[in-house]
Amino acid sequence: MAKPEITIHNSETNEIVTREMNASEFAQYKLDQEQYKAKQAEAEAKLIARQAILDRIGLTGDELKTILG
Amino acid sequence: MATTTNYGWTTPDDTALVKDGASAIRTLGTSVDTTTKNLNPSTTLGDIEYRSSTANTNTRLGIGSSGQALTVVAGVPSWAASATSTLTTTGDSLYASSANTLARLGIGSTGQVLTVAGGVPSWATPASGSMTLLSTTNITATTTITVSSISSSYTSLQILIENFKASGDNSAVTIRLNGDTGNNYSWNIRQNTSGATAGVSSIDAPGSMGLDNVNDNSVYVVDIPFYTSTSAYKTGSIITGWQQNDGYWYSANGNFGYKSTSAISSFSWICSTNWAAQGTIKVYGVK
Repeated sequence: MAKPEITIHNSETNEIVTREMNASEFAQYKLDQEQYKAKQAEAEAKLIARQAILDRIGLTGDELKTILG
Repeated sequence: MATTTNYGWTTPDDTALVKDGASAIRTLGTSVDTTTKNLNPSTTLGDIEYRSSTANTNTRLGIGSSGQALTVVAGVPSWAASATSTLTTTGDSLYASSANTLARLGIGSTGQVLTVAGGVPSWATPASGSMTLLSTTNITATTTITVSSISSSYTSLQILIENFKASGDNSAVTIRLNGDTGNNYSWNIRQNTSGATAGVSSIDAPGSMGLDNVNDNSVYVVDIPFYTSTSAYKTGSIITGWQQNDGYWYSANGNFGYKSTSAISSFSWICSTNWAAQGTIKVYGVK
């Protein structure tokens, strides 16, 4: 798998380098990806839980927004 | 031989011979002429005289130039520059260039203010707040855009990111400073929170779980005051507007903390997918 690329713009010299991530950057990238996925899963779980509550009380999301103003 | 009381002119004695009268009158006349000339040495229009150190002898002082005033130098009168003669032009001001010495300060230009340079007054353009564009980075189709070697010559940084979008749906957008991946950040944007007292490893951007490839015309502004401090932790504010994949346009503001006493010299703009190759990151130094 090709590693993702990173662009670095040196604002002092105006040199712009786009290159593959090095090992440590790629390790951090993979860690970040895991965190993103975890956050996404958490957000989706919240949405599902929210919808379950709405279904139980018989409200739509828009109706809930109306209630909450 | 008799003399006059005040000037000591020689006059004939009562017993002098009449035949010597012509000579006596001539001697007296010469004395009167000499004394009168000594007392009235003026030769030119405007001359004035003053008493010299020699008895019965005045000194001529030629008239000064227009606007000069009579003053005293070394115990005698003298014409010297006056306030009036020093001021030659509309707007001129007076100051002392040294003790008892008048100097002229010509008027400055519009907007200038009076200040001090080298111990004397001068007109100068006031120092004022300004923004300097330090760099413009085109966003490329990469996952991380880092602006490095940011000048430390300013009070605050403003980072303006515009027209960006992610290449994939449901992308997460984060910020890191100085390439620091430690748990040194906290943030609070809209209802979100870092949720960890120990800190988190990046700053989540608004819509971080919703930014997608239909996102367009987005703008993101980060302000970081005192970014060069080496003694204080950093804080910053964010305002942003973006379009999410539900089609709605959102705006948000927030703040973040960065637990570091290092000056901020780089800023990374990170997308969990790749950035689309559009938009720019402009870094401004603010004074």
